[in-house]
Amino acid sequence: MEAEVLFYIYSFPVSKPLLFTWIIMAVVSLTCFFLTRNLQKVPRGAQHILEMSVDGIEKLVVTNMGPEGKKFVPLILTIAVYVGISNLIGIVPGAYSPTENLTTTLTLALIVFVVGHVAAIIKKGFWTWFKGFFEPYFFMFPINIAGEISQVISHAFRLYGNIFGGGILLGIIYMLAPYVLPTPLMGWFGIFSGIIQTAVFTLLAVIYIQIKIS
Amino acid sequence: MLEVAIIVAAIAIGSGVALLAGGLVGIGEGYVAGKAVEAMARQPEMEGPIRTTMILGQAVSESGAIYSLAVVLLLIFTVVLPLVNRLLELL
Repeated sequence: MEAEVLFYIYSFPVSKPLLFTWIIMAVVSLTCFFLTRNLQKVPRGAQHILEMSVDGIEKLVVTNMGPEGKKFVPLILTIAVYVGISNLIGIVPGAYSPTENLTTTLTLALIVFVVGHVAAIIKKGFWTWFKGFFEPYFFMFPINIAGEISQVISHAFRLYGNIFGGGILLGIIYMLAPYVLPTPLMGWFGIFSGIIQTAVFTLLAVIYIQIKIS
Repeated sequence: MLEVAIIVAAIAIGSGVALLAGGLVGIGEGYVAGKAVEAMARQPEMEGPIRTTMILGQAVSESGAIYSLAVVLLLIFTVVLPLVNRLLELL
């Protein structure tokens, strides 16, 4: 399932997921840049949306991790915004969700995995962290390692499988009935399922980090 | 020729059987949602935490279905489609 290459920049292949990742990065960066130009004490207009999203993620993180989790809020918010826009961009005709590619979701899951373990080492010290793999008994070591690896894989495959499976189903429906039927299904797979999967991915990222640092 | 056709048919049957996991996970997730509704009806003030826990539990138990979906997609896209293309060329 290799991604098709659209064009080359000096022999550097630019594939479809990469191009749309760049587009989403540009859109998110520019939106944040222009929305945060003149922030006011009393919010008005688009500042409400910004404050609402930051507040919501902060509440989610603090209820799960306690006040020490506040340093993870930027990471979690970035993941939520990126995954959310990637899922929702799929309903634009001609656009392609980067989360429809396993590379994107596996990268996000690996980022969460590495952040969780590094935070655990910083918080608990190397030896306490290392001893955690031998809990409750020393011969549980391989099972704990397998658990860690399967955590990353299931985190990545959940998002990828949902978005990719929805896309394939939509494609089949398009082939069979190209007119009225795809619209409600597009609403279901594109908008509803996309938002639910964003919430699930974000929530699981928070839970996985919390499990590792506690 | 016949061997390839048998392989393709076997993989198609296997993919269909693997998707049984989706149905079983559906039963489990429906049960979780029903229990969550019961809990919310009993204690409406706990709606937020119950919903979060419900979605988390459903997401974790969905892993089985997702694994089977991934296996099916891998089988179909990396094994069956090249074989079918080769069959069509032979025809």
